[in-house]
Amino acid sequence: MRVYKFSRGFIPAAIVSTALIVLGLVGYFTMGFNLGVDFQAGINQTVQLAYPALEVTYSGKGNAVLTVAEDKAFIVFSGAEIESRTVTLDYKSNATLGVLAAAFSAIPEVQAKVLDAEATASTLLVPTFQGDTRLGGAPVTMHRVPKDEAERFAPVAKVDAALKGLAEATVVNPAGQQRYLVRAQDKGTDKEFSRNTPAAIKAALEKEFGQGRVVVVKTDYVGARYSENLSRQALVLFLLTVLLILVYATIRFGFQYGFGAVLATVHDALIMICFVVWTRMEFNTSTIAALLTILGYSVNDTIVQFDRVREDRKMNPGDRFLDVVNRALSLTLGRTIITTLSTMITVLAIFFFTSGSLKDFALALFVGMISGTYSTLYIASGFVYWWEQKAEKRRAAALALEAAGGVAAAVKPKASEKKTGKQE
Amino acid sequence: MSKTRRFIIVLAVIGIAFAFLYPSLNWYFFTPKEDQAIAVGSREQIREYSRRMAFKDITELKRLAAAGDEKPLPSEFKDVVGVAAKLYKESRLAAPKVWTAKTVLTAFDNERAAYDAIEAKYRATVLAVKARHGNAVQLGLDLSGGMSVIIQADLEALSKKLGHTLSAAEREDAMKRGIEVLNNRIDTFGLTEPVIRRQGEDQIYVEIPGTADPERINSIIMGRGKLAFHIVDDEATARLETYLASNPLGVDEKSLKVADAGIVPAGSVIRKFYKKDSYGLDEFTGRYLVINEVPGLDGTHVQSAQVSSDPITGAPETNFVLDKQGGELFYALTSANVNKTLAVVLDDRIKAGARIQEPIRESVRMTGFGAEEANNLALILRTAALPIELSVVSQQAIGASLGEESIVQGRNAILVGILGVFVFMFLFYKGAGVNATIAQVLNLYLMLSILTAFKLTLTLPSIAGFVLTIGMAVDASVVIFERIKEEMAVGKSRKAAIDAGFHRAFWAIWDSNITTIIAALFLAQLGSGPIQGFAVSLAIGNMVSLFTALFVSRLIFDFGSDTLHRSHLSISWRIK
Repeated sequence: MRVYKFSRGFIPAAIVSTALIVLGLVGYFTMGFNLGVDFQAGINQTVQLAYPALEVTYSGKGNAVLTVAEDKAFIVFSGAEIESRTVTLDYKSNATLGVLAAAFSAIPEVQAKVLDAEATASTLLVPTFQGDTRLGGAPVTMHRVPKDEAERFAPVAKVDAALKGLAEATVVNPAGQQRYLVRAQDKGTDKEFSRNTPAAIKAALEKEFGQGRVVVVKTDYVGARYSENLSRQALVLFLLTVLLILVYATIRFGFQYGFGAVLATVHDALIMICFVVWTRMEFNTSTIAALLTILGYSVNDTIVQFDRVREDRKMNPGDRFLDVVNRALSLTLGRTIITTLSTMITVLAIFFFTSGSLKDFALALFVGMISGTYSTLYIASGFVYWWEQKAEKRRAAALALEAAGGVAAAVKPKASEKKTGKQE
Repeated sequence: MSKTRRFIIVLAVIGIAFAFLYPSLNWYFFTPKEDQAIAVGSREQIREYSRRMAFKDITELKRLAAAGDEKPLPSEFKDVVGVAAKLYKESRLAAPKVWTAKTVLTAFDNERAAYDAIEAKYRATVLAVKARHGNAVQLGLDLSGGMSVIIQADLEALSKKLGHTLSAAEREDAMKRGIEVLNNRIDTFGLTEPVIRRQGEDQIYVEIPGTADPERINSIIMGRGKLAFHIVDDEATARLETYLASNPLGVDEKSLKVADAGIVPAGSVIRKFYKKDSYGLDEFTGRYLVINEVPGLDGTHVQSAQVSSDPITGAPETNFVLDKQGGELFYALTSANVNKTLAVVLDDRIKAGARIQEPIRESVRMTGFGAEEANNLALILRTAALPIELSVVSQQAIGASLGEESIVQGRNAILVGILGVFVFMFLFYKGAGVNATIAQVLNLYLMLSILTAFKLTLTLPSIAGFVLTIGMAVDASVVIFERIKEEMAVGKSRKAAIDAGFHRAFWAIWDSNITTIIAALFLAQLGSGPIQGFAVSLAIGNMVSLFTALFVSRLIFDFGSDTLHRSHLSISWRIK
């Protein structure tokens, strides 16, 4: 087996890490976090701009609930006075809005009206409902996405301009669905903020883009009190977790190992903060989750390696600590790489298949994992090595002192050996 | 432990896990949507549905019987026939060969009994589906769509108003009143049953699955609960009762109106009478009262209310005190309406009624109910006397369509994650990689089952937690496999290498997982939803992976060496 000289990297690693952390702290103190809605009182809305396509009403008894999915629409009828059933209309066999409307109207007591060109393809319909879509006398509108580039009517700058002074808008998915993330900050001046703002946002957008073309898909409101609680809670939890890991690792491995593990994890957290600050990524609950996950992940890594060091020292008590560390790190290198890669596969799966804050979460995790692997190899072991070296020097000094005092030198090394044995 | 015994343990674990997962499978895949729609309603809505269904069936049966129809009943009467067949059996009568409307009806003593039995049958059927829903894995709002609101009760303002700091009992009372007001309004709309619960010291959590219109939330929270005293129109109420005796479904559910215009005079309205069920929730008693539309007295005049007992009979009574102006108004009202009924109405729901025996001024005594009812009434009266300010702390509304999207995202992430890990492990470890993947798939299955068993909510972050756990939990297998490879490199046999590998990797896996679980459990304490879901799945996944990696993987290896007598171990492309 090849033994890599990881120990050579200890000092350069310490310098690089310190530089990165300082950079992160500088960023934090000059710019601060790009706080998300969880930490900053305000409203986050996901708004979609779409064309009204169909209007559906129901005049019968019982409940009729309309659901619009990607490829079909269905109405679930339930209640005592009517026959309970589900009627499904798929867009493929009802290819145009005109045909679809006729199919709707063919259902007893359901009426549908086309608000758009009759020949428009049904597949353009999108699920835009705010949930409860119980049909009744008041018409329920179904929307469709633009059919070509020319129909796309709202670049994000225009949306942002329409909301000027009220909120700011960013694009959520650039895939062409005209969906935007709108954020309005609660400055505490309006007591009814959570009620007035969504209405104001909708009104402003409808004024610019036309009545009925604005669909709110998601609304999050966080009040000042909530965000304060969350920040405090997060910090306390972070510290408590670190403390617990320290205690557990100290009991199982000895203090220098426990401290080394904690140092490595705090290092990873700081590197992630550096990343989040400088990329201006939104800092929200997902970011905290990522931080705390890396805490667990990085410690996991570190402990597997310490376990090897512990074992090796028991088997070869005479060896230099430096050799023991290099051997342990080399032996577990395969495992470190494989585990990191396999976890990265899943992190990438999350990154590519989810949207919104989970995407950010996956990205932060990715950075944290790289840092975690690196810190396990260089920071945690580096610290333990540095500590052992110091202890060695102290022991040597004590030894020299005692030898000078004329005490029998042969007895002492044994005693000091016993001491290290205990520390493991 | 022998392999057989270990195998039985693994099978037992899989079996138990399946028992927990079964309701979820049943609900999400085999329950028709229309049955789901009824089952997610509130108990009151279910009751109303059963009543209407029973009434419809009885009317149809009576019509068929009167027409002398001798044909067997159509299949939609299957349930009714079942009830009748049971009755025949109980009274030891031979069941008729053909179930006609007449033979079914003769099973019951009278029409009322038939109605009750059929209603009970319908209700039991829907409640069984509802119970299945309760045992199925719950989807978080981000997956199902819906709204959640955290509402803050302003106890400080109340304390200021009262001029002293609130005692623990007073705080409790104030919170109860806040929840009472919310309960009152929230049930009146929507198709799904809302969740209202107290959170912490002074917050209330409200969740309405399936609906996401923020306007609605506002209508619930706004205001303080409007309490008023109305005079009951006894004559019209009596007319309504006779009308309902022949037309049990005469009152329209939504508008609370009847078709016959002669029953309710102008200026009067029909309202439902409610009482508390054993859970402290409002339950419709089935009684309707006709009350004057204009309240006789507004509830804002109430100054205090408490419960005491009659000095002679010991019967509980509710006493309340009005302010001076209210006392004058009340005196005029009660003088003019002696021997009529006075209804206490909160947000259009009648909560109590009492006969006016004599003209009353400020100090009012209401009698004639049980201790529980008297307490409830006092609580309701105090909601007017000591209104509690409610404000929104945080609010989330997610459209159902967005939820669907999230489910697809989560599913894809899981599939690709597992597949990626599988390919990766196979490339690195060959046969052993397949073993590790089996352990991970089992891990996922057990995680879902545990999540269901503990009634935890499945959210998109918790799905992310699952995906991530799969990647991280592979670590245990990797540590073991690397060890086995090392042992094989020094020339050990398959069996010896496996033994030594598992043995020596044990503590490393144990220590590293415990620390991860510590971090995850702490994370789970963070009060916020998304992180919690993520952390819980991380913690569960790590614990389960200890079992699958150490126990199940080992069993598969041992099965290969002992039962299949393999001497070669497929763990690397390089080691032959």
